[in-house]
Amino acid sequence: MKAFEYAVAKNEKGIHTALARGYTVKAGGIDLLDMLKERIAKTDKVVSILGVESLRGIRETDDHIEIGSLATLAELADDPLVAGLAPSLADSVRHAATPQIRAVATVGGNLCQRPRCWYFRSRDHHCLKKGGSSCFAVEGDNTYHALFGPGPCHIVHPSNLATALRALEGEVVVAGETEKRTVSAADFFAMPDRRMYAENTLEDGEIVLAVRVPKAVGGNAYVDLKEKQSFDWPLASAAVAQVGGRWNVVMGAVAPVPWFAKEASEALREAGGIDAGVAARVADAAIAGAEPMSRNAWRLKLARAAVRRAVLLAAGKEID
Amino acid sequence: MKVDNDVALENRLSRVDALLKVAGAAKYASDQYPAKMIYGKLLRFPYGAGTVKSADADAARAVPGVLEVEIDLAETAKYPGWVIGHIVAENRAAIGDAEEAAALAFDATSAASVADRQYDGAGALDAEAKQRVDDVLGRSAAVVEGTWRTQVQTHSCLETHGTVVDFHGDSADVWGNSQSTFSMLDMAEPLGIDRSAVRVDNEFVGGGFGSKFGIGAEGRLAAQMSKKYKRPCKVMLDRREEHLDAGNRPGSIQYIALGAGEDGRILGGRIDGVSIVGFGRGGGGVTNLGDKRFDNYDLGAYEFTQSEINLNFSKPRAFRAPGWPQAVFALEGAVDELAEKLGIDPVEMRRINYRSARRHKQLGIGAELIGWNRRAPTGSQTGRVRTGFGVAGAMWPVWNTECGAEADIHRTGQVEVRVGVQDIGTGTFTLVTDVAAHELGLDRSLVRGKVGRSSYPQGPGSGGSQVSRAAAPATTHAVRAALADLTKIVAKEWKMKPEDVGYSGGVFTGGAKTLEWRKACALMSGDKITASGRTETGQEGDGTSDCVQFAEVEVDTETGIVRVKRIVAVHAAGVIVNRITIENQICGGVVQGLSYALFENVRLDPNTGAMVNPEFINYKLAGPVDIPEIVPVLDVEEGDTGVRPIGEPATIPTAAAIGNAIANAIGARVRELPMTPERVLAALDTKGAGT
Repeated sequence: MKAFEYAVAKNEKGIHTALARGYTVKAGGIDLLDMLKERIAKTDKVVSILGVESLRGIRETDDHIEIGSLATLAELADDPLVAGLAPSLADSVRHAATPQIRAVATVGGNLCQRPRCWYFRSRDHHCLKKGGSSCFAVEGDNTYHALFGPGPCHIVHPSNLATALRALEGEVVVAGETEKRTVSAADFFAMPDRRMYAENTLEDGEIVLAVRVPKAVGGNAYVDLKEKQSFDWPLASAAVAQVGGRWNVVMGAVAPVPWFAKEASEALREAGGIDAGVAARVADAAIAGAEPMSRNAWRLKLARAAVRRAVLLAAGKEID
Repeated sequence: MKVDNDVALENRLSRVDALLKVAGAAKYASDQYPAKMIYGKLLRFPYGAGTVKSADADAARAVPGVLEVEIDLAETAKYPGWVIGHIVAENRAAIGDAEEAAALAFDATSAASVADRQYDGAGALDAEAKQRVDDVLGRSAAVVEGTWRTQVQTHSCLETHGTVVDFHGDSADVWGNSQSTFSMLDMAEPLGIDRSAVRVDNEFVGGGFGSKFGIGAEGRLAAQMSKKYKRPCKVMLDRREEHLDAGNRPGSIQYIALGAGEDGRILGGRIDGVSIVGFGRGGGGVTNLGDKRFDNYDLGAYEFTQSEINLNFSKPRAFRAPGWPQAVFALEGAVDELAEKLGIDPVEMRRINYRSARRHKQLGIGAELIGWNRRAPTGSQTGRVRTGFGVAGAMWPVWNTECGAEADIHRTGQVEVRVGVQDIGTGTFTLVTDVAAHELGLDRSLVRGKVGRSSYPQGPGSGGSQVSRAAAPATTHAVRAALADLTKIVAKEWKMKPEDVGYSGGVFTGGAKTLEWRKACALMSGDKITASGRTETGQEGDGTSDCVQFAEVEVDTETGIVRVKRIVAVHAAGVIVNRITIENQICGGVVQGLSYALFENVRLDPNTGAMVNPEFINYKLAGPVDIPEIVPVLDVEEGDTGVRPIGEPATIPTAAAIGNAIANAIGARVRELPMTPERVLAALDTKGAGT
């Protein structure tokens, strides 16, 4: 790892002061330190924001559950308020990574983590995301790459939490030095044609303060399917949630952003009830528009299974 | 020499070094920080093949703290990880900065990264051999024919390869993590000193699995740089290097055609084994299938052919039962398919065909413990989640190796035993301690077993599962010799003949006299008595370490995801010394076999030839949640002699048993490792039975 200057921010203002001076934000440090060790990320100034109390905690407002960006994945998984209203959110992080990582990794860091694409993570592959001219996954080993989206970069978004947040019509509260804004999860994550060098729409100098989930949420469920049950990213995942009476079906690990399945969501909204047949039809609709790559079409079956199961679980039904 | 059951001392005490290890007090090579130490790192080519296009060595040399940068622009790299130079620096950060400053650019040329592109079926047989195969298959009541594939697996030692060398001009101290303490004396060559002037400390080794013999490129660099700069030098591989160039198990493509009679007896056929190996040979391939000594089965009349496919990948190294898990996965799968065709239960099929009577008995034990009677007929289940049971067996030859040992009995009553073997995590410290404590009838707290230094009497390297078998009797002999010397002192004190003095359980007796251990020790005039013992090589007729393993799995037919629920592992263990360490070795072998069966895979990019997963996120190792209940069963019989090999047999049949259980569950066979959801779904598709 390259040596870096290390600063500690005590409050939000301190974070912005550091950002203005070119510091890179470190929360749990899970992803950033990996990237620095591999010399994929380059910075000579790091500011720790772990001591900023205002970014901690999970609280209830009139309309929302608000989760501070420094809440850990373990805190989110164990929070009774979240478990009661939005179990899908807790389930999306409950088995992520390892217990040690969940105790340290933060909600903000999880949403902003960089892709796990093995070409992106390799110093020896100068891919599109690093300013190169081609996506190595297209002709290479794309087993774990995107099933949806036109490219030109074919990563899958690495955050399971993002998938659940998107289905719950969550929002991300972000703040720059002078301005604070709230952006929907739908707009927070960005496809590569919009943002090649990032996976979200944060502007320079902006940080995530919190995420919010509406309390007007009905049935919701999150399902992921993993090759390995310890410390693995999903082959496919799905979150299904009813928000303000409207069903949303979102798939994870299948596209560069949490993938809102429009036809599937509409099919579910129009179904007027959920049974095994409806779940199967919704699942079929979810994968209908896929554009799999040379080695990953088999994962459509897992995406379909994840949606089917999430639909049934969101309706309080057992998986048959 | 024959070792009798009188070294038997089965106990369930924890490892003698358990506290040292959990408390971080066990110092591995990477924990050594001698004063003024410098660091070395090998520079490596990242792609399948090619050359260095450009490098700015001067910029790298200009990085503060850098002592030396060498980049070989003329080198033609032949695999990812190929050494193209090195950096030496005062600290590790400077090495990274120098590597970045060097701005290495490469010309990649085309590389062989996909074995199947080079495979065009089983090799041709001559007309006579072909006729023999046709004849035997022709008169068979059932024939199975198919091609099995296994992947390349890396050793994935928790502690990466590495060495610290401190050269003193005419001698050197070496801290290593070798499976062979004495092979580290090879350091003498790059250091230009006599082997006897090299002192090796190899006490703690974080796993080896066959990959840690000799000094390696990393040890050679540490030696050269320590000599050059007259300072201690450390070279530890990082995880990427460890995957790329520190050993691997060759992959395989195995064509099998076997026929069996109505009665289930295998009549013969042919086996064609292709080893998928990296640059250069080694690692056993799957050649063991043709070796009659290692026959799992009586295969009747069969033709065996073998060849190799070379990939642009690093040289294989011996890997826990080299060649075996590959061969057994294919063969035990084929036998299961034959049984299925003949309507014979897989356990019965093995009773009919296994050579070993010992294994026949083990089949009964395992079948009962796994609940084999719950096994539904193959393909009969219709639910989404289906349960399957499978069995597979293996054996391991028993070798007797030369091994020396030295025992001290101190005036204080303390005992120390030194054996020049090493503990690669298997429990050798514990074995030596417990054998000595038992032999003397003393509490373990009085005894200290020591291994892993070149100053001790030489013993074998940790290969072939021979260390425990050799170290146990060597320890016994050394301790007996030391006890005989102490007995003489007691006899002299009592004015008796030594043969009239008895000893048992820490008490000397002679006529009506008795003398407790510590008081007897206090009689010696010096500080200690030292005696040595050894075992010799060449004992024949000690049989084999046979085993069978049973697996219970659940397969989700909608996702192809396999969960292993339970493994019962029945192993001929010979004389049991410490039950915890032997059960731990069996469980470890099963875990490594399960990980091989379902997850691990070296993935080479089909275009650049780079390994895309040289880390532990995408090179998938079984984690805690993936590991099922494992039931180790130690099969001990009257007349078993000596401590038997367990490290290697424990990992051989696991993948085959899991593969057979999957086939039983879903009625379709996955003939390729790892048995991923993708391949399980494909097998279900082929059968047309997917949900």
